[in-house]
Amino acid sequence: MSDTRTGDDAPATAPPAPSSSEPRAPRPGARELALRFLTLREGSIVVVTLLAIVYFAVQNDRFFTHANFITLLPYFAPFAILAAGEVLLMVAGEIDLSIGSVSIFAPFMFYEFNQSGLPLMACLVLALACCVVVGIINGVLTEVVGVSSFITTLGMLLALGGLTLIISHAQPVAMPGAEVTSHTVNVTHVVNGVKVVLPEKVNETGTFAKIFGAGTYSELIWALVIIAGVQILLNRTRWGVYTIAVGGNKHGAAEAGINVRLTVIRNFIVCSVFAGLVGIMEATRATSVTPDTAGASETMFRAVSAAVIGGTLLLGGEGTAIGALLGALFLGVLRDGLTLEGVNADYLDFILGLAILFAMVINVYVGRVRKRSGVG
Amino acid sequence: LRCVRIARLPAPVSPPREGDATRREQEVSDDESVQPPNMDPVHDALERLEWQDAREEETPHSRLRALTRRTALTGGAAGIATAILTACGGGGDKTTSSSKAQTTSSGGTPATGIFKPAKKYKFVFVNHVTTNPFFVPTRYGAEDACKLLGCSYQWTGSENSNVNEMVNAFNTAITGGADGIAIALVDAKAFNGPTDAALKAKIPVVSYNADSTENARLAYIGQDLFVSGAEMGKHIAELVPSGDVALFIATPGQANIQPRIDGAKDTLKSKSAIKTHVITTGAALPAELSVIDSYATGHPETKGYFAVDAGSTQGLAQTIQKHNLRNKGVKGGGYDLTPTTQKLLADDQIDFTIDQQPYLQGFLPVLQLYMNKVSEGLSGIADVNTGLLFLDKTTVAPYNDTKSRYEGTSSSAGVAKAG
Repeated sequence: MSDTRTGDDAPATAPPAPSSSEPRAPRPGARELALRFLTLREGSIVVVTLLAIVYFAVQNDRFFTHANFITLLPYFAPFAILAAGEVLLMVAGEIDLSIGSVSIFAPFMFYEFNQSGLPLMACLVLALACCVVVGIINGVLTEVVGVSSFITTLGMLLALGGLTLIISHAQPVAMPGAEVTSHTVNVTHVVNGVKVVLPEKVNETGTFAKIFGAGTYSELIWALVIIAGVQILLNRTRWGVYTIAVGGNKHGAAEAGINVRLTVIRNFIVCSVFAGLVGIMEATRATSVTPDTAGASETMFRAVSAAVIGGTLLLGGEGTAIGALLGALFLGVLRDGLTLEGVNADYLDFILGLAILFAMVINVYVGRVRKRSGVG
Repeated sequence: LRCVRIARLPAPVSPPREGDATRREQEVSDDESVQPPNMDPVHDALERLEWQDAREEETPHSRLRALTRRTALTGGAAGIATAILTACGGGGDKTTSSSKAQTTSSGGTPATGIFKPAKKYKFVFVNHVTTNPFFVPTRYGAEDACKLLGCSYQWTGSENSNVNEMVNAFNTAITGGADGIAIALVDAKAFNGPTDAALKAKIPVVSYNADSTENARLAYIGQDLFVSGAEMGKHIAELVPSGDVALFIATPGQANIQPRIDGAKDTLKSKSAIKTHVITTGAALPAELSVIDSYATGHPETKGYFAVDAGSTQGLAQTIQKHNLRNKGVKGGGYDLTPTTQKLLADDQIDFTIDQQPYLQGFLPVLQLYMNKVSEGLSGIADVNTGLLFLDKTTVAPYNDTKSRYEGTSSSAGVAKAG
């Protein structure tokens, strides 16, 4: 597929950089290893993410702590899941802008189903079923009717945001199943060698909430499972091969007998379901959900940028789920690190923007080195 | 007015650190030095300022500041001091309360000297609309309190009321070892967990601007929203004894505006002659304006236009002006002071607006969190209602004629005439 990337290849061959002559001269063992690492499509983003982590760890002694690791999780795990869905579509040459709205629509449907008296699991299944419907509409409009996916899902982004406002009456609601109950337990402390039993308040959430978002590692585990699933799907299954083929050359794929419509539509469905799941988990984590449509497009942008930073091409034909995870991790590290550093809101976007540009320059440079060394 | 403002601040705490040479001179000169100005207070002040600056990292900017300050104070001091003292008629009893406070603290002990903080405290403000102009004075307030006390603050949160993002920022503040957290509790439940975690980690938490009584925060600094709404209801009933009244709200359910409309409706429901209609306008100002505009076109019988948020208040004032509704005896009013609202109120397009002193919502949380830290939890925490100040077309005048940090209209200290 990489031969379709003419735009990327062109600058790589243009200036003969001084470093290009030496790759294989000294210490071939280490070189070989480094190059092999960089031949991975995600190699460069790993380097960039590590650089960011090292930078913040040096800058702030609290960055490299367990507490901050836990704080960092919600900065990237939900976006990694969203980005994984987006990768599936972007590899197939399409894009889904509606995920931001789906992720606020789903928890409201969940709430409405719960209000009608259904148990939590049934609500979850039904809410995700609504997302499936959204995915089918997106897919059919794009593939069967022939509206470009950008416009289809842009319309869906607005329509679904509006629908959420209507069904919620623009009122935030408490997320069912996420109630935090606190009770007091007696904890034994050892003070100066004397055992003291003190009552301590402990917050407790339900099992459903713990699995779907409220548990400390729940979003991380979901993200890792989903990333692994999408990675296998893309690389090891027919579905994945078809997806890549459709993104690389749609007509060619159709001529070769691939059912293009089915391939794209089911990718739309998966993307929507992921978005719905993230919405429900984030609402459960915050214990409440606000019908705030202003944030929807930002959520979508972060997911798309995580996918692109992770090496997925906007034009289709290339991309990996692990790259999406790393892209999301990189953005999460930046946001958490800068907030930890004490960067004020006005400066945050500015510095974040420059950091992303800087990192992507390194990313492209590292990618170029890998190409020049002939292994790319 | 300015003396009153100053007197309301806890002046004795410390000498102010920034400001122009004139102001500094005014404060340095004390009652006793009516004799030809001696330069001792000046050197004293310089020393003190430099001592305080020394605790900050040196930057080209701070070096330049030190240089210009030295030049200005030593060079210009004698002349200015004489002039001021002459103007004051040498009367010790005429001096402002701030200079009196300065005198009593004899040589000015900085806050660090009085409270002996364990370190330079860092407080974090978690906000729901970090870049909203309403909070510019709040940030100035926090900044000023930090200068006064020798601490620092961080302004973070979400740009668009994303509660999850705010929770993330809150958690980062805990992880980052903030010494205190001020949170705008725009969601009734979402911050309960993080607040408990912070308090457990011995990080004091206060809420500002929006509150939730379910939350374990130590105090609330801001307007009593429901009461303010109820008071607005009384004003509405006086202005419009009967007929249709439109109540505009940007985002229903949001904890910093919903209680206001609840309060207003609560007062108005006993007045059977008044029919209220609640209209949602949306979060972005241009959209709010068009919603109110089209409502006015579609409902010509409306006798009163009232709003519970800054954007809708400005929007309804502009709508009343656009459709010349004052000629038909339409009444209007709302909350907060955007420059346009101020101007239109002074032009008698609306009847009132309510000031909730956003400056104090930044200043007081820092003060309280600092006091809580230095007193190790013995003192410092108190609920503060930052106000229910109804402004009409005459009382709004000083807001229009002046520029100050208190209203977020100027970044320099003091109250200046608007150009």
